Amino acid sequence: MSYDAIVVGAGHNGLTTACFLARAGLKVLVVERNDHVGGAAVSRELTPGWTYSNCSYVCSLLRPEIIRALELPKYGLQVIPYESGATFDSRGGYFSYSSDHDALRRELMRLDPRDADGYDRFSRAVMKQCRFIKPLLLRTAPDPTSLKPRDLSELLFILRRFNDLGAADMAETLRFWTMSIAEFLDEYLRSDIVKAHIAGSGIIGTGLGPYSPGTAYVLLHHYMGEVDGAIGAWGFARGGMGAITQAMAASLVASGGEIRTGAGLDRFLVKDGRVTGVALANGDEFHARTVVSGMDVRRTFLDHAEARDLPEDFLKGVRRFRFRGSSGKLNIALDAMPRFTAAPEGAGFLRGDLHFLDDMAEIERAYDDWKAGRWSARPYLDFLIPTQIDPTMAPPGKHYATVFVQYAPYAPEGGWNDARREDFARTVIDRVEEHAPGFADLIVHKEVRTPADIEREVGLSEGNIFQGELTFDQLLFNRPVPGWAQYRSPIRGLYMCASSTHPGGGVMGAPGANAAREILRDLGRRIDMGAAA
Amino acid sequence: MSWDAIVVGAGHNGLVAAARLGQAGRRVLLLEALEGPGGLLGAPAAGQGAGSGGTGPGVRIAAQPTWLNPIVTMGLGLDRYGLGPGVAQPTRAWGPDGPVTLTAGSALGVAPETAAAYAALHARLRRLAGPLARFMGRTPPPLNGAGAGDLLALALDGLALRRLGRADMRELLRILLSNVWDLLEDSLGDGPLAGALAFDATLGGAMGPRSPGTVLPLLYRLAGAPRGADPEILIGALLKAVAATGGVLRCGAPVARILVGDNDRAEGVQLESGEEFRAPLVLSNLHPRRTLTGLLGVAHLDAEDVRRARLMATRGMAARIDLRLATLPEALPAGTRLVVAPRLGAVEAAFDGAKYGGLPERPVLEAVLVPGAVPRLAVTATFVPHAPAGSWTGKSRGTLETRVVAALDEALPGLRSEVTGIETMTPDDIEARYGLPGGHWHHGEFRTDQMLMLRPFARVARYRLPVAGLYLCGAGSHPGGDITGLPGWNAAGQALKDEGKRR
Repeated sequence: MSYDAIVVGAGHNGLTTACFLARAGLKVLVVERNDHVGGAAVSRELTPGWTYSNCSYVCSLLRPEIIRALELPKYGLQVIPYESGATFDSRGGYFSYSSDHDALRRELMRLDPRDADGYDRFSRAVMKQCRFIKPLLLRTAPDPTSLKPRDLSELLFILRRFNDLGAADMAETLRFWTMSIAEFLDEYLRSDIVKAHIAGSGIIGTGLGPYSPGTAYVLLHHYMGEVDGAIGAWGFARGGMGAITQAMAASLVASGGEIRTGAGLDRFLVKDGRVTGVALANGDEFHARTVVSGMDVRRTFLDHAEARDLPEDFLKGVRRFRFRGSSGKLNIALDAMPRFTAAPEGAGFLRGDLHFLDDMAEIERAYDDWKAGRWSARPYLDFLIPTQIDPTMAPPGKHYATVFVQYAPYAPEGGWNDARREDFARTVIDRVEEHAPGFADLIVHKEVRTPADIEREVGLSEGNIFQGELTFDQLLFNRPVPGWAQYRSPIRGLYMCASSTHPGGGVMGAPGANAAREILRDLGRRIDMGAAA
Repeated sequence: MSWDAIVVGAGHNGLVAAARLGQAGRRVLLLEALEGPGGLLGAPAAGQGAGSGGTGPGVRIAAQPTWLNPIVTMGLGLDRYGLGPGVAQPTRAWGPDGPVTLTAGSALGVAPETAAAYAALHARLRRLAGPLARFMGRTPPPLNGAGAGDLLALALDGLALRRLGRADMRELLRILLSNVWDLLEDSLGDGPLAGALAFDATLGGAMGPRSPGTVLPLLYRLAGAPRGADPEILIGALLKAVAATGGVLRCGAPVARILVGDNDRAEGVQLESGEEFRAPLVLSNLHPRRTLTGLLGVAHLDAEDVRRARLMATRGMAARIDLRLATLPEALPAGTRLVVAPRLGAVEAAFDGAKYGGLPERPVLEAVLVPGAVPRLAVTATFVPHAPAGSWTGKSRGTLETRVVAALDEALPGLRSEVTGIETMTPDDIEARYGLPGGHWHHGEFRTDQMLMLRPFARVARYRLPVAGLYLCGAGSHPGGDITGLPGWNAAGQALKDEGKRR
């Protein structure tokens, strides 16, 4: 059978690309290996009555332009901001975050009065960086070695924006992009627990510690999102993260697109350096002059393409691209709401992201364990109970906890097995238990996911949640391979549309939208992003 | 008595600045707090290094300096004053399976394919360092508001970058902010060769090889084509160059403050003794934080400058340890540098200990024999924290020394029993004697956010300070540490240029 375009992988980026192509009038097919769509943005019922966001678990980065252009709210997407969070220390104290500025100020005053002002200055500094980077997300990164008019004008666009910052903010921006999150926070704040609370955003999903240069940028990657226009806010997709990809799938079908699940790719069909379609594992073949890969760059080119169709330096770049999965996850069905010793009964901040930490050094030590090939003895946890806000995810009165774990190695010594996975889960549960005695007894069911599990189920190489590390050598025009950062590949007609490309991971959809723009451009059409384009 | 210019601090950058100003006909006074010139290169005070050795002859911090940059040696005509071209110093990288010997671009003692990979990597990095080298010998461009001269220079830099060719240009843009671990692992695999290069890339700073941004210091060092040098000859030649232009050096003259006139212009300096010297031009070779918040004083600065000076990353992590030996170790020829950093992981592990303020279990280090009547082994150990657990004690010093000797004993078997005395300068000691905040011998971390137009921080990166006529000329300024003489050279050049404009 023949299509205009085939997208491999029904993750949020694959679906985003497919939606834009279908809206431009192309006949689009999406093939997905799993029996469900969603990739890493899924809602799954693994135990009766509970819905897990079993990979990605919170929403903020999804570009509002994409939400509007694809009419996702019409197809059921609803994002509920959680507006709070807390970090508990080992001495029974805590810091509670609130998006209510007055409440936050009072809390900071309680911990260290100087931090009330320090936080405001920190906030302004980060906001400035968010404003600088936001317009770059939905643009193709220019190739700085190219003299093509389009690359030059894009480069000029960035330089002009940079120049518009003025000398002082230009310096701040250069520093910000290369600093460690620890040092950045030390410049503004004094309280260890406040810094620890924020520093987590600089290392989530990343094989770096808070003391490593480059982690301030990772923080930005987690701050540049928004929920309903509230910049930096995070929320839950009602019904779990699958609501995002379900809405995308519905939007795609409404535009005439087709989705086949349980349809794993065997290989791309290539003739004379040009893609002609895909061959599936079950032997089916589909033809199209445009094929888009939603898989990461390693799987796309090392597993499903022939080396003879690719230049050696490109392959070298692909092999070199670093994944280094560093995150694990526990999804837990709870019989009741756990009680946190330090938190007042019914405290509102329990609705947000909870952490158990004394200071940034503790995160750094957790990183040291991972560097040595072990999971962290005292891991950094991003612990949330979404059912406080979204009761649709558990039976009445019951709860669902999503526990993101940093750091967990892809391949610990001896490899992962059931016993190690259980030990890993115990490490995490014990950590929560320290602050919420009785937590372990509330567990009705749990799903434990190591980087190896994430790779196996979702297909993310080495379990890297960003489809590749967010270090500067793998950002912008370097992502995924220098010279191949504009969604095209050396095989004509074969494109990349997922997080291995600029601007990278997170449930953002920007790579998918950017890829669609480039594809349509090559076809002599334009993307319809409404006013946002 | 009044002068055309006063240079504070007679370290090598101060000497270079004084010589360049003198060359331009300025009458220069060079003031040094210590008893002799040379700063970290200079002769140490007897018994200066505490340690189990008691009162030895003292530890010279820069015992194995790299040569001054050719821009400086040629600009000042230092060959006239006895400065030779320097010698290439081979490195012997110790590993459990035998040493690897490195001379510029070639490696002996490794598999042929590794040797070829090293030769290729070295050549590639030297090539990529080319465009960076263009930045070293001049004032860095301003972040915005560049004048015609700056724009022209930048255009030429852009052209140099393009001349690399597309593949190299892409490679440079990829690795520029990357970490040295990945680069070395990709190109050479692990082992003593990679360990030694990781050691060189991280020496003196507070970043392990896995920290992004550690390729840049390596490129910078390669851009300067470093060669080994004798510190005495180097200082001697610079002193002669200063004297030849009529410059006057006064040692034992610590400066207390910079005198600033009503019109916010530098007018001279006042010594701690109360004595005052007048000059319309003052260059400070001291650490930027000391210059700004100490000598100049916050009254002359705006709040942001004070904040930046205080927040500068300047955690020194190199300790100098001199071992007096009964006999010369046969395994280490004179003039060869020994590096003990057998694997990439060894360098990172040493950093991991230090980043929390602890002593590394197994220090990584370099060592070189110092000729003299009593054989000495000059050892530089990283990563040694400024002060483990708050402050140095006899016990922590002893622990450091024991671990350093143990590490050396593995590389030079039998060395332990030859040691007759130890003198140690910890980062804390270096701070105390040389007035370097954090004991950082580069006057501030060699890190992306503190290099080029951000060194030491953006508003003072062009050597000029907010007070007219006052300049930074030390390693805290562009292009930074090591013994290059370029900060002093560039600062003097900038001062002369500004003076010309005013006239």
